[in-house]
Amino acid sequence: MSLRDFIEKYPERRYLMFGGKGGLGKTTFSATTAYWLAKQGFKVLVFSVDPQASLSDIFKCDIFGKGAVEIMPNLFAQEIDADQRIKAYQEEIRQKIRTMYGLEEVPEEIENYIQAAAAEPAMEESAIFDAVVDIVISGEYDYYIYDLVPLGHALYYLSMASVYDEWIDKITALRAEMAEYDKVAAVMQRSKETEEDQILQELMYIKNRINTSSGILTDKQKTAFFFVLVPEEMIILDTQKAAGMFAKYNVPLSGYVVNRVIPPELGKQNIPDYLRNRLEMQKGYLEKIDTLFGEQVLARVPEFERDITGLPMIEKVANAIFR
Amino acid sequence: MSEEEKKRKWLDGFKSVLYGMAGHDMARYALKTRGSMEHLFILITMGDLLGIPILPPYYSLRLLPYVVPQISTWKRRMLREKDLTDALA
Repeated sequence: MSLRDFIEKYPERRYLMFGGKGGLGKTTFSATTAYWLAKQGFKVLVFSVDPQASLSDIFKCDIFGKGAVEIMPNLFAQEIDADQRIKAYQEEIRQKIRTMYGLEEVPEEIENYIQAAAAEPAMEESAIFDAVVDIVISGEYDYYIYDLVPLGHALYYLSMASVYDEWIDKITALRAEMAEYDKVAAVMQRSKETEEDQILQELMYIKNRINTSSGILTDKQKTAFFFVLVPEEMIILDTQKAAGMFAKYNVPLSGYVVNRVIPPELGKQNIPDYLRNRLEMQKGYLEKIDTLFGEQVLARVPEFERDITGLPMIEKVANAIFR
Repeated sequence: MSEEEKKRKWLDGFKSVLYGMAGHDMARYALKTRGSMEHLFILITMGDLLGIPILPPYYSLRLLPYVVPQISTWKRRMLREKDLTDALA
């Protein structure tokens, strides 16, 4: 099966993701797949959740923090600016405190906490995670293509979601118990109905957000996750390890794309030993990849004569993958 | 005042006495427990305020506005040293 066959065979898989180690071509394939789908007439959004996103570079167009930008008809790209989002979010919290208690300024102690919270390392991941929910919930596009962060981060997202989920369950239970005590006291004092617990409502909202975002990553009906790798020993080993971990988090692994394959036809030409050795090395590892992943290898993408930036180069790659 | 009203008034009074004898303490106890739980809740959502790193802060910030009034009493309680008289309270 090829990548094209896969996409055509499973049209309901509308969330496509490319993951893998850094620098192997995740952004290239995200952009290329988006380009091809857009050419087929689908409305596509390719977006990056990487703080060091490179969609701007590949499309040669500064889109950082500008929302969904139309690159060509049907093709939209977006890079989430986590910092900006966190700042807006902090301000939203401050505003809420000011209006709730009719304050001019947020008390110093509280303000310090708000600022300290933003410096936490998990803050950025969570903010991006949350932004993704907004993007996907709108449902404006036929396809959503995630240009994922390198492996470690992606796993961190997923583990964080499950920890979050349990945490929420615990505090929701505590909150519900508190409401019980409220009710008991109210009954005994024969006072009117207790006021509804707003915190409980917030908790429900948070739980919903977390479940939506991690749900997309693990939805077997709607999501396809592709690993990008290159024919080199270390990469193969790491990919295998990562695939195991992803499987544990129920990510629907759908296939592997092998990048940077030196065209074997070159071997027939008079080429320097340097290149011939690399060609030999790749041949060995390509066989290894085939025995390890077999049918799941969906594409072998050649090494191109130059780096992939700009639509003409993206088209070239698309032609190579989606022949 | 009709017989009916007199009766109701007397009943209300009787209920209040009953409440004072039995219910009040229970209600107080329920509210006290609830107060303790409120503090526990703040601890597990806003522990960072005391320098105890708790969980990812992104969503706990959403809860912050609701606990603003309780925070100073909570901090006092968390940081207070315990002594014998606490047992009597």
